[in-house]
Amino acid sequence: MELTQADAGAIYSYDSSRDAFELAGTHALAPSFQDAVRTIRIKLDESALGLSAKQRQPICFPDLSTAPNYPLRDLTLSAGFHSVLIVPLLGPEEVLGALVLQRRSIGDFPASTIGLMRTFADQSVLAMNNARLFREVEEKGRELAVANEHKSQFFANMSHELRTPLNGILGFAELLLDGLYGALPEKALEIVGRMQRDGKHLLGLINDVLDISKIEAGQLSLSFEEYSLQGLVEAVITSTGVLAQTKGIELKAVISPDLPVGYGDERRLTQVLLNIVANAIKFTDTGSVEVHASAIGDHFVIAVRDTGPGIPAADHDRIFEDFQQIDNSITRQKGGTGLGLSIARRLLAAHGGRIDLRSTPGTGSTFTIFLPVRAEDRRQAA
Amino acid sequence: MSKRILVIEDTENNRRILNDLLTNAGFEVLEAVDGEKGIAMAAEVRPDLILMDIQLPVVDGYEATRRIKANPELRHIPIIAVTSYALSGDDAKALAAGCDGYFAKPFSPRVILAKVREFLG
Repeated sequence: MELTQADAGAIYSYDSSRDAFELAGTHALAPSFQDAVRTIRIKLDESALGLSAKQRQPICFPDLSTAPNYPLRDLTLSAGFHSVLIVPLLGPEEVLGALVLQRRSIGDFPASTIGLMRTFADQSVLAMNNARLFREVEEKGRELAVANEHKSQFFANMSHELRTPLNGILGFAELLLDGLYGALPEKALEIVGRMQRDGKHLLGLINDVLDISKIEAGQLSLSFEEYSLQGLVEAVITSTGVLAQTKGIELKAVISPDLPVGYGDERRLTQVLLNIVANAIKFTDTGSVEVHASAIGDHFVIAVRDTGPGIPAADHDRIFEDFQQIDNSITRQKGGTGLGLSIARRLLAAHGGRIDLRSTPGTGSTFTIFLPVRAEDRRQAA
Repeated sequence: MSKRILVIEDTENNRRILNDLLTNAGFEVLEAVDGEKGIAMAAEVRPDLILMDIQLPVVDGYEATRRIKANPELRHIPIIAVTSYALSGDDAKALAAGCDGYFAKPFSPRVILAKVREFLG
């Protein structure tokens, strides 16, 4: 303001949806003047502000009393201002507003002032554009959040809708196998068994997809409580024991004595370890699967070592992604949904932990879980 | 006299599975297709146990359970919730509504039968 030698000034923004210039900022203008301005409708076609915008040029009124009867003329005169400079604020295609300088004296504004105001107007346009972009980004963010919520609600509903008919399929299959509808011939029993296995596979997929969508939407609520890592590892060994025995693989756990008490979602952590141990057994045809559990500093370190075929380095990252196994034909041979490791990775991340893989084809693989002994209770999965 | 089980379930196939399973095991099975009919039937026939679907038309399973458990003459009847609404916290909601047990669909008929026998000794 000092640089322009004006007595007062104002910034107007133009709202094209209402066809009106509105007071956006002022300097040295009395509140009564501001209130009065706000009662006046300043249209693009009928105002000096609009004229300046349409001509894309500053307009100067050295003696306002001789100017046409624009909406703000009399009000400005009665407030004691006699000369006015208007500089339009213009976007590439649209009118954004106008800068107005007012002086009490009569006379032209110096060229230097007009030049300065044009520079200032350009800077203002940049700032207004940035503000508008920022608002748009914010708005888009809100829209995305709503869409995400719809998505996870959709998955929850879909899961319900898919489970209901699956209940019929799996329920009748079990009753058939149990001979409730009479003894089935050997061949039919085998086929119903196949139907049941595929039905259970489908159920696994539905559950896994639901898990992932809940984690993605930040809606997976973890229930944090104290747990014993030793108990957790032993439970996993117990429930995978039959699978290892069937394949003739040695399965053993090496658990450090005196492990600290853990804090986290025991059920979900069991799901993670169960997935990794079951995978190791599934992919190992001879030799052993070992689970080593220890604590280093404030982290649990749980390593699952197998003597399976190993995983080429190029695939190390990929197997943690959704629906990725090294080779899709593996899904048919070994079963599994291709979502287990991806879920494991997400569940560990929700505990502030992670999983690493070391493997050389031919010598086996080691999956190592690093898990804070006391996970931070963030209530929601990341 | 055989024990009576009321199955409140809107999906026909699921009613059929439970009916075949439980009838075969020597129970007498009664059926209701929505929550309101279920509440009325519970009061009328006084079953020994109720298998309650949660996603039910008219009155849902949570509300039906609350109303049955609010009736002093019916309060003692064990109610086992069976739901395919697989959101976490459903089990807690079912128990909070007064259910005595909870199963997620798809259920295994063998497991349901074992649970029913546990309640009916």
